[in-house]
Amino acid sequence: MNLQEFITIFISAVFVYNVILSRFLGLCSFIAISKETKPALAMSSAVMFVIVMSSGITWFVYRFLLLPFNLTYLRTISFILVIATFVQLVEMVIRKLSPQLYRAFGIYLPLITVNCAVLGVAVLNIDMFFINGKSVEGSFYYSVFQGVCVGLGYTLAMLLMSGIRERLELCNVPKALKDFPLAFIIAAILSLSFMGFSGFKV
Amino acid sequence: MKNLIKEFTKGIIKENPTFVLALGLCPTLAVSVSVANAIGMGIAATFVLLGSSLIISWVRDFIPEKIRIPCYIVIIATFVTIAELCMKAYSPALDRSLGIYVPLIVVNCIVLGRAEAFACKHNMGRSFFDGLGMGVGFTLALILISAIREFLGSGQILGYTLVKGFEPVFVFGMPSGALLVIGLLLGFFNLLKSKKI
Amino acid sequence: MTNNFIVSGSPHIHKQESISRIMWTVVISLIPAGIAGVIIFGLDALWVTLVAVIAAVLTELIFGILTKKKITIWDGSAVITGILLAFNLPSGVPLWLPIVGAVFSIAIGKQVFGGIGQNIFNPALVGRVFLMASWPKYMTTFVNPLNYDAVTSATPLAILKEGKILEHISYWNLFLGKHGGCIGEVCILALLIGAAILLIKGYISWHIPLSYIFTTALFVYIFGAGKLFTGDWLFHILSGGLILGAFFMATDYVATPLTAKGQLVFGVGCGLLTAVIRIWGGYPEGVSYAILMMNAATPFIDRYTKNRIYGTR
Repeated sequence: MNLQEFITIFISAVFVYNVILSRFLGLCSFIAISKETKPALAMSSAVMFVIVMSSGITWFVYRFLLLPFNLTYLRTISFILVIATFVQLVEMVIRKLSPQLYRAFGIYLPLITVNCAVLGVAVLNIDMFFINGKSVEGSFYYSVFQGVCVGLGYTLAMLLMSGIRERLELCNVPKALKDFPLAFIIAAILSLSFMGFSGFKV
Repeated sequence: MKNLIKEFTKGIIKENPTFVLALGLCPTLAVSVSVANAIGMGIAATFVLLGSSLIISWVRDFIPEKIRIPCYIVIIATFVTIAELCMKAYSPALDRSLGIYVPLIVVNCIVLGRAEAFACKHNMGRSFFDGLGMGVGFTLALILISAIREFLGSGQILGYTLVKGFEPVFVFGMPSGALLVIGLLLGFFNLLKSKKI
Repeated sequence: MTNNFIVSGSPHIHKQESISRIMWTVVISLIPAGIAGVIIFGLDALWVTLVAVIAAVLTELIFGILTKKKITIWDGSAVITGILLAFNLPSGVPLWLPIVGAVFSIAIGKQVFGGIGQNIFNPALVGRVFLMASWPKYMTTFVNPLNYDAVTSATPLAILKEGKILEHISYWNLFLGKHGGCIGEVCILALLIGAAILLIKGYISWHIPLSYIFTTALFVYIFGAGKLFTGDWLFHILSGGLILGAFFMATDYVATPLTAKGQLVFGVGCGLLTAVIRIWGGYPEGVSYAILMMNAATPFIDRYTKNRIYGTR
């Protein structure tokens, strides 16, 4: 476990292999919700929370349940169940503790279950930090940290995009390109700019 | 019979999951680097769509309303696991190039979306053709995007060089190129739509 | 008429100059660097620049015709984009490359946003990063300076990035531009002459260039070499696209913050990103990427550095 690995994970997950702009995970929610900043921020924080928690939980499930009992082929099913259950739990807790927050999140919370980013990061963690069926040293910390960084990368992309799209409300964009097509083109330019960090080595 | 055919064809153009409904974009962009990948993913996704649409439609009267989403997910996940294992066994190269996007078919909005919007409300026959149509529409969209990307990005399609001396535009093999292609395609289809009406 | 409406918070400054006058003055201020480029790299530099400009203007013309909007090619902004794009290219590129780049710059970097005054990103840089990603081989093949037989040489920053010891290249040579590099970025002297014109006329303010260059120099001084506080900041200021970027591209009216405070933040951000990429990134030069990333952040910078409206808290 060394600092270099953490820095690499950070630069990778936030910039070079940004979850949305490079891996395309969470793209649906990105295009749909990045029109305004407030919802974008709400969605990003909810997603970050779910990703971090599920990164941790799925790690445990894989390490102590699937691996020892040779059930690794159940990875997809078990992970998605974990995520769905967790999101349901979070929904119930938030509804009880703070009805206001629950209303603020609205429909976004249940949508997170099918957000590719959540399942994607869980699977990515396993692919990256388990080699030949054994966990790499410090893999739990790497996994959770990667979850945090992916959440940060998601938030960064969402915030940049929502700021830009709000600004574009005042411009006369060609009609055929309004909304979705332009959003993709902006994402393309953002993706190109983020590539500036490729090959990053501390 | 005519109704069934209508369910099938609507998934190809009028309600094309990628270009009209804007569903399932995550794997679409990631996988469209080469036509081979596109066909592989399309087949896998169609298989899952067919299987899950059939089963969900079959048991739609037995699933309690409140837990229907988790139930759908379990059913879909089962088919995805089957697809995953088959792919690992019979074409490991494809499995490796599709990477994490195979298990991600579980959360592919198209699959869950069709289950929620159609399969749970219609009988098995119509659900089968709906799923088939959506799967074919998805595959065709994938092939279109990946053909453009593969040709521009490497001068080849399915490994065959089409134009000699073509300087490949590498950016189209990259994520940025994918976003660009789909943005421009969506804009193009919007233009067609507005001109038709 | 609608193209002349720019929506922004007050105060508004009324000036005699129109957009055209400002743009064409910028074109004039870029001429010294262009001449230097031709002297250093030969006539190829001239052809690349001309081709880029013509392609940019034609693209804008075609867009104007197709979308039935006002034809804006006479305001000089397309010309500037063409020139700036060419200045960011090595002189030895095949001539179709600047054409494709210019078309991309105008079409994707500017027109899809609605045309002049509405682009989020600097169009020339959008074209440049597109070219860099698409044809890296052509974009990193540089010609030997003052030796018109094209023997390729690397830029000083590239040599540094590969870890090779830099044969001592004097600061004077860096200043005059006697080394490998892109057409418009090498001759610092010529660039500064042009920048002075713009500064004196008040068309650009010192906020962004100063904060940008200062931040890069400071960061490189602290972290740029093995031991802390030993970085060669003067080398970094005089190398790569920093001067070109700081004075001519990071100061794009449309894609940068409105207020002075915002501009300082913008400049610092660019400086940090440029320095980080130069020191630890895979690319030897980070100016284009840094500016584009800060362009993306500009809507937010604007929001949080807005001038207080008189009478409100």
